[in-house]
Amino acid sequence: MDFVKRLTSLVQDPTRYDLAHTAIAEVQLRAIDERFQHNKSRIKLLAKRADDAGIEQINSFEEAARILFPHTAYKSYPESFLLGSKWEKLSRWLATVGADTIPDLDYADIHDVDDWVAQLEARGVYVSCSSGTTGKSAMLIANAEDMNWCRVEAVAAYSWGSGIVPAKDRRMMGLAPVASVARNRVTGESYIEALQDPTTEPFTYPVPPITVGSLTKMVVLRKKIAEGSATPNELADFERTSAERQASLAKAAEIAVQEMIDSRHQKLHVTGMWASLYDIAKRVRDAGFSASDFNPENSIYVGGGLKGAALPENYREFVYETFNIAPERNYQNYSMQELQSGMPRCQKGMRYHLPPWVVPLILDKSGDNLLTGQSGEYEGRAAFFDLSLNGRWGGVISGDKVAIDFRPCACGAKSPSIRDNIARFSDIEGDDKIGCAGTVDAYVRGIND
Amino acid sequence: MTNTTVAAPFFARGSLVEGNDTVQKSRDLNVQFATPALNLDSLIHPRSEPPPLLNVSTAEIIEFLVEGGKWIADSGNPHMSACFERMAATHILPRSVIEAVSQHAVLYLNKEILQRELEQSFPDPQALDRWVPRTDFTGKTSFIRAFGPRLIHILPGNSPGVAIKSIAQGALVKAVNLFKMSSADPFTMVALLQSFADIDPQHPLVKSMSAVYWRGGDDTTERSLFRPQYFDKLVAWGGGEAINNLVKYVGPGFQLVSFDPKSSISMLGREVFESEDSLLAAAQSACNDIMMLNQEACAASRFQFIEGNKEQVDRFSELLQQLIAARAEASGDFRPIEAGMRDEIEALMLMDDDYTVYGDLDGKGIVIHSDEPVDFHPINKTANVVRVESLDDAVQYVNVATQTVGFYPDTRIADYRDRLASAGAQRVTRLGEAGGSTIGNPWDGMYPLHRFVQWVTHEDGFTQTQ
Repeated sequence: MDFVKRLTSLVQDPTRYDLAHTAIAEVQLRAIDERFQHNKSRIKLLAKRADDAGIEQINSFEEAARILFPHTAYKSYPESFLLGSKWEKLSRWLATVGADTIPDLDYADIHDVDDWVAQLEARGVYVSCSSGTTGKSAMLIANAEDMNWCRVEAVAAYSWGSGIVPAKDRRMMGLAPVASVARNRVTGESYIEALQDPTTEPFTYPVPPITVGSLTKMVVLRKKIAEGSATPNELADFERTSAERQASLAKAAEIAVQEMIDSRHQKLHVTGMWASLYDIAKRVRDAGFSASDFNPENSIYVGGGLKGAALPENYREFVYETFNIAPERNYQNYSMQELQSGMPRCQKGMRYHLPPWVVPLILDKSGDNLLTGQSGEYEGRAAFFDLSLNGRWGGVISGDKVAIDFRPCACGAKSPSIRDNIARFSDIEGDDKIGCAGTVDAYVRGIND
Repeated sequence: MTNTTVAAPFFARGSLVEGNDTVQKSRDLNVQFATPALNLDSLIHPRSEPPPLLNVSTAEIIEFLVEGGKWIADSGNPHMSACFERMAATHILPRSVIEAVSQHAVLYLNKEILQRELEQSFPDPQALDRWVPRTDFTGKTSFIRAFGPRLIHILPGNSPGVAIKSIAQGALVKAVNLFKMSSADPFTMVALLQSFADIDPQHPLVKSMSAVYWRGGDDTTERSLFRPQYFDKLVAWGGGEAINNLVKYVGPGFQLVSFDPKSSISMLGREVFESEDSLLAAAQSACNDIMMLNQEACAASRFQFIEGNKEQVDRFSELLQQLIAARAEASGDFRPIEAGMRDEIEALMLMDDDYTVYGDLDGKGIVIHSDEPVDFHPINKTANVVRVESLDDAVQYVNVATQTVGFYPDTRIADYRDRLASAGAQRVTRLGEAGGSTIGNPWDGMYPLHRFVQWVTHEDGFTQTQ
């Protein structure tokens, strides 16, 4: 892994976002091939894709683009494995997308998917899960090396993007529920390690842990309704649990609001999602507090997009102004579940910068072809090769539409950068299809989601 | 991928409306079509005027439909050939398949068929033509009329045949009909109506039909149009978002007649393996049902539950894949497999202990042999053969979305039909015959014509008391 290491060893190097694509392209290509040679016999899906494409060695970015995994590859397990508690089979599926041998588990002791995840984790295999309220959740496999990487990379990227040198002098305020999956826990710990003032306690959003099991519960119930095996009592129970959860979320928001007000004089680092941040900011304002009441050195990190929440147009400014967050202490980062490294936004150019271990492979809208020979800034479907990934394949095609530029950014950094107007293709294009052929999905009325 | 824009005119109560005011996008394919501006007022038949067809006899309507059918099937019909030309650019199915389907659908415009349709749907079809007298056991008399309704038909986009059937059924019940076309086929309905107008542009049938396109879910249009002051019933195909959108307009005086989205399956007994001949016959029949409209139809089989041991079912699956591939090749219809399904099949290929996959991910026909149904909806020449110990074990997979269940051998149907109906299935056939229905039979759990009309009574009191 010489070429991979040449790039990943720059994780804390001050020049890491200042490397022009042309200067490192050759090393990146060789590094991708290193990963490919190492993994092609280990990741079954990769072996199949490479075989289908007739690729034995990666000599060009075009070839690399032909063996990227779509994000849906991590959702390809049969749901019946979850529904029918077929954990051994789920492990076998996991092995098709993972690079490491799946260890033997004590299957007799596995009663739900959380047990399965816990046993894997105890044996060095980390499964994270994306939340899909109606659709399937992606299950992303990673190993201990990946966790170590996240521990270092996340805070390093934060520090570059926000310009804040971690000094253990802030109170961490988690203002949104965070999924309790390995990757989030690890990065959360490293942020606390770097930023948290040891004389205070970090504030964690007071809700029960959101586990892989709770994330997939809805999916499983939906399938049961479709099959006709869910009983009305079971649904009523679920509705009650949902109502309770809603109530506890509302309670958590109240507690968070009070906590923000109480700690307004401390130097804070606020994290969360836009919807909950806006809600809490609004309540803080309603309680009569605003920017002048908060510490002017507060910083913020917001994860993810709007996720369908309908907020007023100025929601960002509203949040910043409420908590007195200066523009330069507003950290933004572009990444996705399927990758593990981030692309921090710079202060001056307001663009997301690619580190040398994240290789841009921007495709056409269909995702079939690498866009080549472009000049200036150009748009396409985001796809990347994250050379830092060990436990699974680093090449991923996303559903995002991005505008990338390989020229130096206004901030001076020479790395390729992405404009801050990322959209999802699925949000841009709707459809109004009707046919007589359809599935039982159309017969499942929305359960409280 | 092409970016040509084709013209899609409207038809408003007997008149062709042309114009390129709005450019629309077709489903599935990256094709655009241009429509005239939508004049909502032109689509409304005022309630102050009875439906144009009210006093045209059903016999005369049938005659006109049959005559129209001949002209539609005529190779010299310029509207239809222009329509096929445009369809070839917008539809996911190849032109040859669309033409064959249309030719087949025109056969519905047959005197015998249309008469039987009426006889099966109404205890007394006379009620469509006049006020029919009846007297109850107390001696009270009245007259009953199956009155022509005002219908909005939300047409599906996957089968050109539905357009012809919708015209015929709308005409038979003497309805005022507004057809909302689909973005997958904004042409056929207008071409058909133009063909009828060629025969007699002033015919009440022509005057009572309109066909337009707007993007499904468009609030401005739907909120304005979907009102009981203008229409009685919404006749809608489809489910999910499309139907959820429509349901919000349903209320007093504005009802929904829904043709629900369906999928179909096959059930094969161990008799399949009695001989080479039976194996071949069963596989051929299964293939026929799977490949209906190249698996775009609701009656097209998706899952084939089969009794047998692993080796037997492997043989069946392999044979089935060859037959599907041959059918696909003959139709010239190659479309890449949609990415989500592709990923799932690929994962199954890698778990080869539990799943055996025949064929490749090239869109030319693929069969997955498994012990339980796959999660995804098999489409585009994809079959999932599910091995069961007994067909009893397959009944659990029948649900409210199940339309047709094809059986081999048909002698086993009687043992299963009650259980299948109870689970939600609507139609049981011999394997290989999912495509054909007995004339006048119910559809989607109802007699649609009977549901369309407005039943009106004229109470006449005790006129004959002594």
